[in-house]
Amino acid sequence: MKALGRLSVSEIVLLARDPGSLFFMLAFPIMLLVLNSGNDNLEILFPSYLAMILAIGGIAAMPGILASYRERKVLRRLAITPVSPVTLLLAQVGAQVLMGLAGSVLLFAVGLVAFDVDLPAHPLPLALAFVACSLMTCSIGFVIASFAPNDRAANLIGMVVMFPMIFLSGAAVPPEALNSTLRRIGDWLPLTQGVQALRDGWFGTPEAFPLLVMAGIIAVCMAIAGALFRWD
Amino acid sequence: MPYGKPHRHPWGMATIEVNALTKTYGEMVAVDGVSFTVPPGEIFGLIGPNGAGKTTTVECILGLRSPDGGSVRVLGLDPSRKRRALAQRVGAQLQESALPDRMKVGEAMRLFAAFYARPADWRQVLRRWGLEHLRGKAFGDLSGGQRQRLLLGLALVGDPEVVVLDELTTGLDPVARRETWALIGELKESGVTAVLVSHFMDEAEHLCDRVAMLRGGRIAAMGTPADLISRAGATSLEEAYLTEVER
Repeated sequence: MKALGRLSVSEIVLLARDPGSLFFMLAFPIMLLVLNSGNDNLEILFPSYLAMILAIGGIAAMPGILASYRERKVLRRLAITPVSPVTLLLAQVGAQVLMGLAGSVLLFAVGLVAFDVDLPAHPLPLALAFVACSLMTCSIGFVIASFAPNDRAANLIGMVVMFPMIFLSGAAVPPEALNSTLRRIGDWLPLTQGVQALRDGWFGTPEAFPLLVMAGIIAVCMAIAGALFRWD
Repeated sequence: MPYGKPHRHPWGMATIEVNALTKTYGEMVAVDGVSFTVPPGEIFGLIGPNGAGKTTTVECILGLRSPDGGSVRVLGLDPSRKRRALAQRVGAQLQESALPDRMKVGEAMRLFAAFYARPADWRQVLRRWGLEHLRGKAFGDLSGGQRQRLLLGLALVGDPEVVVLDELTTGLDPVARRETWALIGELKESGVTAVLVSHFMDEAEHLCDRVAMLRGGRIAAMGTPADLISRAGATSLEEAYLTEVER
């Protein structure tokens, strides 16, 4: 536990020192919110942007971090300590959850102060959806990191997976803005379930279905990532 | 003594036992029947040209690779099966390993100390290895010698009974090399068992109780530095090494 705590703290500190992560997870969503502030119904943007923040961190940024640890022999150094691969991956999740939370809280604070948006209707289901969505994006990131040959490939694959996903799942633009064909494609994407669960918690009726689908995706991705994990 | 624990091993039990170790990568035989034992408290050197099998041997001792033949026991345990249990008691500094560029020296020490059940005081390790003034410096901004010293400090922060040091002083200036030698001397006095891989014959001669000279995956010669020198009719380990390698 001590190792996991310290490693998570260390990873979040490293994330906070990375200008790219800071911009895309903290500043960029606020920029989008301000650009869309002419909309009457600003609330519908929040759950979508939360999912977007988590996808940027877990799917686009994190695989590159892990792959660079492998490429630069950081993992090799950790392999000769008592730290287990599970602890290592959990620390990445911990850091991503915290960073995602920081971005989301900041975004909501801006919405509250500048645009007088309503509070989320169901805080607990919303928190659950947030954690599930973060775990899911991280587990997808672990799969990418596990088969990417180097950190440049991991970054590229992360981007290629993340970008279409945030648009088609209704994370970067709300689902209402998509035409029916795009929405049907989006229905098959994992992040759509995250957006749905977050929307249910924010202003809808919380349901178990999207959470269960996410749990299934997490289990499958973690099994694949666990089987493919290598220290070098 | 901040490092190491006095001899805990039952008398007569070797700290490291390598028995007929073989390891192949595809067609290439990296290690071909290497055997040696290291008793508690000894500093044992592995020397030899590039590709002689030194690093592969060390990787098998650390459990990073599983032997294809023969056996390895460290503190009575099989490293390929008990990697994590052994990692609590074995510290290592590997060739070309690194930390994230933005991680600071003090943070790295504190982080690694948290990995162990009974670590040394990481602040003391920082002071001991002359890293105190670098505490707030990021790994990416360190010079080669400073990185080397940090990685050495990290190998010892778990207060290990056994240390494995691969290319201990590569990248260090002559003064830092001598300082490192003195610290290895102190480690030895505290009862730590060490395996040292080196390209520098003066280093092996100065620090090691016994040395194994590897060539083509086999042990070409083994003994105290003085033994090897006199057997080769040489005046230094370097000369003995050159005689052996050219034979």
